[in-house]
Amino acid sequence: MRSFETCNPIVITVYFLSVIGILMFSLNPVLLLLAFLGAFSYTLIRSKSVSLKSHLFYLGLFVLLALINPLFSHNGKTVLFVINDSPITLEAVIYGVVSGGILVTVLYLFRSFSEIMTRDKLLYVFGSLSPKLALILSMGLRYVPLFRERAKTIAESQKALGLYKEDNILDKIKSDLRVFSVLITWALENGITTADSMAARGYGKRRRTYFTLFRFRKSDALLLFATLTCSALTVIGMAFGALDFIFYPTLEWGSLTPLGMAAYTAYGVLAVLPIVLETEERLQWKYLQSKI
Amino acid sequence: MEILAVKDLSFTYPMCERPCVNHVRFTVDSGEFVVLCGATGSGKSTLLRRFKREIAPSGSEIGEITFFGKPIAEIAPEKIGFVAQRPDEQIVTDKVYSELAFGLENLGLSQSVIARRVAEMASYFGIEDWFERDVSTLSGGQKQLLSLASVMVMNPEMILLDEPTSQLDPIAASDFLATLKKLNRDFSLTVMIVEHRLEEVIPMCDKLLVIQDGVLTHNGSPREVIADLKAEDSLLESMPTAARVYHALSADGACPLTVREGRRFVESRYQNRIQSIVEAAYTHSQRQALAFRDVFFRYERALPDVLKGLSFTVYENEIFCILGGNGSGKTTALSCAAGVRKIYSGQIRVFDKKLKDYTGGELYQNCLTLLPQDIQSVFLCNTVREELEDAKADISMLPFDLSHLLDKHPYDLSGGEGQLVALAKVLATKPRLLLMDEPTKGLDGEKKRILIGVLQKLKTNGVTVLIVTHDVEFAAMCADRCALFFRGNIVSVGTPREFFSENSFYTTAASRMIKGYYANAVTVEDIAELCRANGRKGNGDA
Repeated sequence: MRSFETCNPIVITVYFLSVIGILMFSLNPVLLLLAFLGAFSYTLIRSKSVSLKSHLFYLGLFVLLALINPLFSHNGKTVLFVINDSPITLEAVIYGVVSGGILVTVLYLFRSFSEIMTRDKLLYVFGSLSPKLALILSMGLRYVPLFRERAKTIAESQKALGLYKEDNILDKIKSDLRVFSVLITWALENGITTADSMAARGYGKRRRTYFTLFRFRKSDALLLFATLTCSALTVIGMAFGALDFIFYPTLEWGSLTPLGMAAYTAYGVLAVLPIVLETEERLQWKYLQSKI
Repeated sequence: MEILAVKDLSFTYPMCERPCVNHVRFTVDSGEFVVLCGATGSGKSTLLRRFKREIAPSGSEIGEITFFGKPIAEIAPEKIGFVAQRPDEQIVTDKVYSELAFGLENLGLSQSVIARRVAEMASYFGIEDWFERDVSTLSGGQKQLLSLASVMVMNPEMILLDEPTSQLDPIAASDFLATLKKLNRDFSLTVMIVEHRLEEVIPMCDKLLVIQDGVLTHNGSPREVIADLKAEDSLLESMPTAARVYHALSADGACPLTVREGRRFVESRYQNRIQSIVEAAYTHSQRQALAFRDVFFRYERALPDVLKGLSFTVYENEIFCILGGNGSGKTTALSCAAGVRKIYSGQIRVFDKKLKDYTGGELYQNCLTLLPQDIQSVFLCNTVREELEDAKADISMLPFDLSHLLDKHPYDLSGGEGQLVALAKVLATKPRLLLMDEPTKGLDGEKKRILIGVLQKLKTNGVTVLIVTHDVEFAAMCADRCALFFRGNIVSVGTPREFFSENSFYTTAASRMIKGYYANAVTVEDIAELCRANGRKGNGDA
């Protein structure tokens, strides 16, 4: 099996959407715990770049969110103590902890998602939706660095001509406006050449297809199947109320039914899928190495 | 087999009275390499675009163009490929591989077919190493090669190129042309190319077409056509060195095209008793215009030095050319001198005053100005007239005439015209030191000569000129002193004759052609002068 991040971008996107979607609509501490363990350990395993500082930032954010809720929300029956005539309730504290935890977990997940999904992978996902959209995005992405470079060239040229002044802010704004207006003219001129180049290669004559370097392999299908099955089980569990968790007025949760058990297991599997794949791949390399 | 037939073709732009292409007729055989040349505005690009219907400008067309016997309007776009001049603007997408696939996607081909063709092309062109790179990180030469590859991937029968190398440095240009020749030779691809840099492309071609004022004046093998050109033809100035020596000596017989043929031509016909041209010792003024002392520069702290202890002096009232390869730091040195970039160690003095001590706009008024490589970045307005008014330029004071260009849009100017208008604009600040970055990019031989004339006039008016260029021929003709830039430093300085006759590889075609036979000839004129002075060999020697 390949490591998680080398899987097909569509599968990766579906995976993250499922994990995040279920987590955000559940408000269930068990699901949160599963998701957090999955997301946090995956971040630890995958990216060495995540520094202690950013972990501390997430921790700080979590504490802040957990504290804010009980300060403003006074619902709940179990009063822990009173500050300035406002009761601080156990239920509100738990709610704060859970919602703060969800937010931080989602941030961890997004972080992994944005690191894994490089620009061309995102483009591929959009391209699979519509080849036209993919082309537009790709052209846009081409223009951004082109324009930036161009603006720099123009500004430097004008400066050496003594026409671009930075002595005071008014001059600078004036000079920047000039550069901007030249940039627009240039972009329009440039557009004609680009349009010619597109027409010369038969653009608009036939229905376009979309070429990509990504393949949809058997392992991708397997992962997609696993993701969808697990998500479906969890969602069914949620729909039948097996995962219900009530915060106010008092904390209440139903007894663990077989359906609930299945749903929790399914979400747990979903949460650890990336770590399992990652570890398996690493072990495989170790094994191969020892053979070589 | 005949691939393209043009029968009595005339084309007139809307709102124009005179036809731009006038009763042109010729045919191209399959697998031929055809060069189309002519002066700027002669209609060569217009003619070329008539063969690519998707991008042909509208206007009234009379005559007939057939492609494999069928009218050209019925030909599918993928049969004829087109590569334009500016590498940046004809690339459509952001990644190398997606650009390669672009044309095939337009044809609606399936993923697996595209994958195979793209892979084939990438291997053939040697672009596997940068296959997944962003287009914006490529060099100009790579971009142009990518443009060619992304046309070739569609398997065209014929490929049209409109001055494809004009924006490239000489090495990238040679690579590009070599690739083109390889395609022509290996796949019998029919090539039609509009070019002004003819030194290298003419020896490769089978057929040379010359257009003058919309009329096809010559059509034949390059040897015949060049021998047939008149001595006063301005087109001759863009021709290969060997051919120009042949013309300068009004020789007869087969016209030499390459350096090797040129050498044989001179050796077999002319004696070499007199080896060198006597020249007066060069003396420069004692006053310094620009001095670099141990200058160090890098773009970012973490990056390596670009200028490594650079020291040189340009004296007042001389034309100083800095030559050197790509990425050697020439352009960076120039922008440091112009105060656009700040050096971190060493000293730059402009007219014996530290660069740092110039405050406000002082440096750019009556002192120094930089004409950048990319001329379009100089222009801000909609017409040349506004452009010149904006810069407060006085046209009557210029050493050249611009009056016929005043109502044109700056972007519509040809390379040579653009260069002169930009020059007019920078001269408005009355600089005493003019810095120029690659002024001959995109200019043909005639335009180069005009530019040299302008620079000589400026020099007479007391202006010092510092030029950074790849163009060794240009430097040999116009410089008072030349310097070779290598890895952030200047390694040798001398007058063009010393400089180029001492170099063996980094030198002019004329010098390469005659090295060892004559001692210090570096231009076509030098060779011609020595040949005349030595006289013909006797019949017995020939």
